[in-house]
Amino acid sequence: MSINLTPRMTDWIVANGAHIALATKKGFPTVIVSESIEVNHDTIAVHLTPNQMQQIGNIITENPLAAVAPGQLGSVRAPYQFKGTAKVLESKLEIKVEEIYCTKPGAEAGARLDTLGYKEMKAYEESRWTDLAPRA
Amino acid sequence: MAVLTDEMKKVLKVVGKGGAVVHLTTSSADGKPNIVAERFVTHYKDEYILIADMFAQKTKVNLNENPLGCISIAHPVKDHTWVFRGPCTIISHASPDHYRWHDIVAGEVLNDWGDWATKEPPDEVPPDIAPPKLAQRGVIVLKVEEVYTFDPEHSGQVIS
Repeated sequence: MSINLTPRMTDWIVANGAHIALATKKGFPTVIVSESIEVNHDTIAVHLTPNQMQQIGNIITENPLAAVAPGQLGSVRAPYQFKGTAKVLESKLEIKVEEIYCTKPGAEAGARLDTLGYKEMKAYEESRWTDLAPRA
Repeated sequence: MAVLTDEMKKVLKVVGKGGAVVHLTTSSADGKPNIVAERFVTHYKDEYILIADMFAQKTKVNLNENPLGCISIAHPVKDHTWVFRGPCTIISHASPDHYRWHDIVAGEVLNDWGDWATKEPPDEVPPDIAPPKLAQRGVIVLKVEEVYTFDPEHSGQVIS
């Protein structure tokens, strides 16, 4: 089942881009990075360049699983990992998010957030973080 | 095999301004990827990257069954669009001193980097994102066999 991203998650990804992790079915890992990202409810849409398309096209065809983490300062200020299923539509990689994890080092590392449900997840964030959006 | 350049080593060891941050990607043997940001990172010798192992549970599970990883630069990213890929393992504090993995000797690497928080205290990390207690369980080691760029216009092109 998919889950919508919160405004905080969306803002940090859109502002800072993301690292997108993929792997072949035998587990050979590959990463692409994009700063051209949209988030629509439960879907992270990455605009692919021709080189990125060439790099990951075959991988996505054989294994659609993807993991996404915010880039740049979002990597520490917004420590999330989004996991889901990806497909390429025209020149976009669309990842439907099915699991969300907190990746902050320490006791919260690996805590699954999506199982809280959207409202509880958003409330957790609002109580937890002082920076609900990246600074302009 | 790839060799880290002086510029790569400098970026992997940024002091001040928040330090370097990388993402470590691993995968299960059947292709489920996992990606986490890592704050305690440094180069080691000419072809290794070290990361402090702190509660990296999924990473540990993945590396036990599929010892491969990618390290991508998250910060500072400008002109440093590198992904380092290669064999990857965890040297735990429980490893015997003489245990060897490629050119890494457990006793030596743990003596140098087994207590990262004392060696390089994360004083600059704001309190709301700092872990309450740093409990290091060992050192994650990636042997760099390939470096490619993640610059979107040239993504995937091998640098070395």
